[in-house]
Amino acid sequence: MFIHYLLIRLLTALAVVFGVAVLVFVLIHLVPGDPVDVMLGESVQPADKEALRHALGLDQPLYQQLLNYVGRLFQLDFGHSIYSKRPILDIILERLPATIELGSAALVVAMVIAFPLGVLAALYRNTLIDVGAMGFALLGVSIPNFWMGPILIMVGALWVGWFPVSGREGWLSLILPAMTLGTAMAAIVSRMVRSTLLEVINEDFMRTARAKGLSEVWVILRHGLRNALLPVITLLGLQLGTLLGGAVITETIFSWPGIGQLTVEAIQRRDYPMVQATIFIISLSYIIVNVMTDILYAWLDPRIRIQESS
Amino acid sequence: MKSMSTTRGRAHHGHMGQSVCKGWLIGLTISSSLLGFCLFLSCFILAGTASADTSLEPIRFGLATAPSNLDPRFATDAASTRVNRLVYERLVDFDHTSRPIPALAHWEQLSPIHYRFYLDPNRQPFHDGQPLTAQDVQATYQFILDPQHASPHRSSLLRIDRMTTPNDATIDFFLTKPDLLFPAYLVIGILPAQLIATQHPFHSQPIGNGPFAFTNRPDDSRLILTRRTDRQPFEFVRVPDPTVRTMKLLAGEIDMVQNDLEPELVEYLAKDQRVVVQRGHGSNFVYIGFHLQDPLTKQLAIRQAVAHAIDRQAIIRFMLGGAARPASALLPHDHWAGNPALPPYNYNPQKARELLAQAGITPDRPIHLTYTTSSDPFRIRLATILQHQLAKVGIACDLRSYDWGTFYGDIKAGRFQLYSLSWVGIKTPDIFSYVFHSRSIPPHGANRGRFIDDTANRLIDEAETAQAIFEKREKYQQLQAYLLTKLPYVPLWFEDHVFIARQEIEGFSIAVDGNYDSLVSVQRRR
Repeated sequence: MFIHYLLIRLLTALAVVFGVAVLVFVLIHLVPGDPVDVMLGESVQPADKEALRHALGLDQPLYQQLLNYVGRLFQLDFGHSIYSKRPILDIILERLPATIELGSAALVVAMVIAFPLGVLAALYRNTLIDVGAMGFALLGVSIPNFWMGPILIMVGALWVGWFPVSGREGWLSLILPAMTLGTAMAAIVSRMVRSTLLEVINEDFMRTARAKGLSEVWVILRHGLRNALLPVITLLGLQLGTLLGGAVITETIFSWPGIGQLTVEAIQRRDYPMVQATIFIISLSYIIVNVMTDILYAWLDPRIRIQESS
Repeated sequence: MKSMSTTRGRAHHGHMGQSVCKGWLIGLTISSSLLGFCLFLSCFILAGTASADTSLEPIRFGLATAPSNLDPRFATDAASTRVNRLVYERLVDFDHTSRPIPALAHWEQLSPIHYRFYLDPNRQPFHDGQPLTAQDVQATYQFILDPQHASPHRSSLLRIDRMTTPNDATIDFFLTKPDLLFPAYLVIGILPAQLIATQHPFHSQPIGNGPFAFTNRPDDSRLILTRRTDRQPFEFVRVPDPTVRTMKLLAGEIDMVQNDLEPELVEYLAKDQRVVVQRGHGSNFVYIGFHLQDPLTKQLAIRQAVAHAIDRQAIIRFMLGGAARPASALLPHDHWAGNPALPPYNYNPQKARELLAQAGITPDRPIHLTYTTSSDPFRIRLATILQHQLAKVGIACDLRSYDWGTFYGDIKAGRFQLYSLSWVGIKTPDIFSYVFHSRSIPPHGANRGRFIDDTANRLIDEAETAQAIFEKREKYQQLQAYLLTKLPYVPLWFEDHVFIARQEIEGFSIAVDGNYDSLVSVQRRR
């Protein structure tokens, strides 16, 4: 039954991806601006523009372009970038590891900061520790990445000199962008950990666990945190989806060659095939993360498995 | 009783234990998070150290935009064009007055429609060791002229009727009609004919005969070229954010940058001992364009009022940090066809008000215009200043900023009253036909303001058909003087180039068009 459920989820996901792909195609063609104009600049003659438009297939009727696009999509052929002339799949495969690397590292940073802070704030509710932890969380949410990034660069790269300013050269270069993204995410997650833990901390099963003589640490970690995790996992899943979709500002500040920056550049250049491909990949990553979240849910909460089975 | 006391005791112990446990938990959480972070950090530090390679010391050039296409037959953006000049040599180049001069070849005009080019006997072979011959030149231009290949440079070469190669070092161009400026169009880098035939991917693996050879492109944001004379590697690094580019320069992660820095960043860097700031004249022309079929902006008095209302000197001084020259025409004064006798419009708000009054616009009947610009923060800031200056003479401006694609689409479609843009890399005066002739209204050209003027058309046609250079120059100078009176554009300024390098870098000289050619002589002082 669970496999059946998963199959239905996957099929639904595929339908969503297809819908997104078609929608993006239509929307990008509705936006004013011509890729040929953007590519060729101001001083190019009209005949060149027409020749290029023809070579790129942009002079065909829109429905024909859509059919070509969908046909190629079924073969996982994203075509060539009309700007750099390179195969889009190659470009995406170059960029995707960077995005996954940054997203994963930011998630690790977020969890390392958020879980201890959230637990402490819940255990010491309405004390200075709680205020401090939630103050930090508020700060993390409030500080925008375009400010946090340069400040971290200033301190970590210019003053202390431990990290490179930007780029993706060696693992050291991952630290500052991961901290920029991770601290903002940690702020949100820690508030969620605190509130969900507070909801379960006085539940009967917690009292029972204590009455059994379990240590407080074990009670919190084994019973409290596990039961408080479900909403947190949902949040982490959504956040990871966002990160895989590309943290455009952070990628720009740190010259991190990820998918987000690629998408924005493609939109600015009206590189239609590239926009379509990157949005397709982004929607795919969202869906994969969502399905994985569902699986994790079932693993964490046996009731979900039972419900699905029944 | 025993059991009760035991229970109480346990409860009591449990309460105390809870606080002890909480304390322990605090310690645990703090230490675990610290430990986790330290592990995370040390892991990266170790990995980072392991990946560092100090055997090669490339000279690094920070760019706002990476070169997108390393194939000169297709490249059109400034970054690609500048880098391609390093990798490929071209037949013809330009001197400081934008006159065509020999590069890979010198030429003679055998008849009005027949040019013969002789390749330099000391020319370098291609990077793969093959010699560069006239056949390579022919193959390169034939490829571009083939409409199937949709090269963006094709139409500028359509005047070529046919080519022949009498020998390996000579190539003849036969034109469809006489053109005195023909050599100025032969500026495309030459590719090996053999590789053209095999459809070599020049866009990602360029092979030319220029002073720099392609080495590697690890990703879109980095490109490594090696100088042929001394094997010195040069790395072009894309750093989109100007503040981060500045910090990278200060941290020594890049050695030099050119342009695309806000004036306050340049000013900040100029005070730092670690770097040296150089400035040089540029030819990028910034202007305000009008829609000449709009009921308001078609009135000459209003356009003149706008021209007199703008305090260029103040903007250049305070906003651009002095890095510009006021302009009076599309070509700079030092261009061979430029008109040095033309004075820029002077700042005269009183005269602007008088001109507006002539057009029936008084303080109680103010004029409202829409000013369109791109979403680039610098352009928005400029638009805000212009808005303020125009408001002082009684012209209220609504600012509209759009992303580049939308903005450019609107301009082409004529959906504007006034806008500002710049022309980059203008070398040949045929730009006047493309921008101001009435046959060049989009989609046939860049006459976006719909400027229709018989005198301008006549002057352009006469300049184009003139059979002597001095005659061409005279006609183009007359045309520029005429355009300044009619004001289809309000010329603003020519942007300077700013080059900033670390102290130890020497040998770079700024080119008028901002090219990177002088990297051939750049050295890092030991």
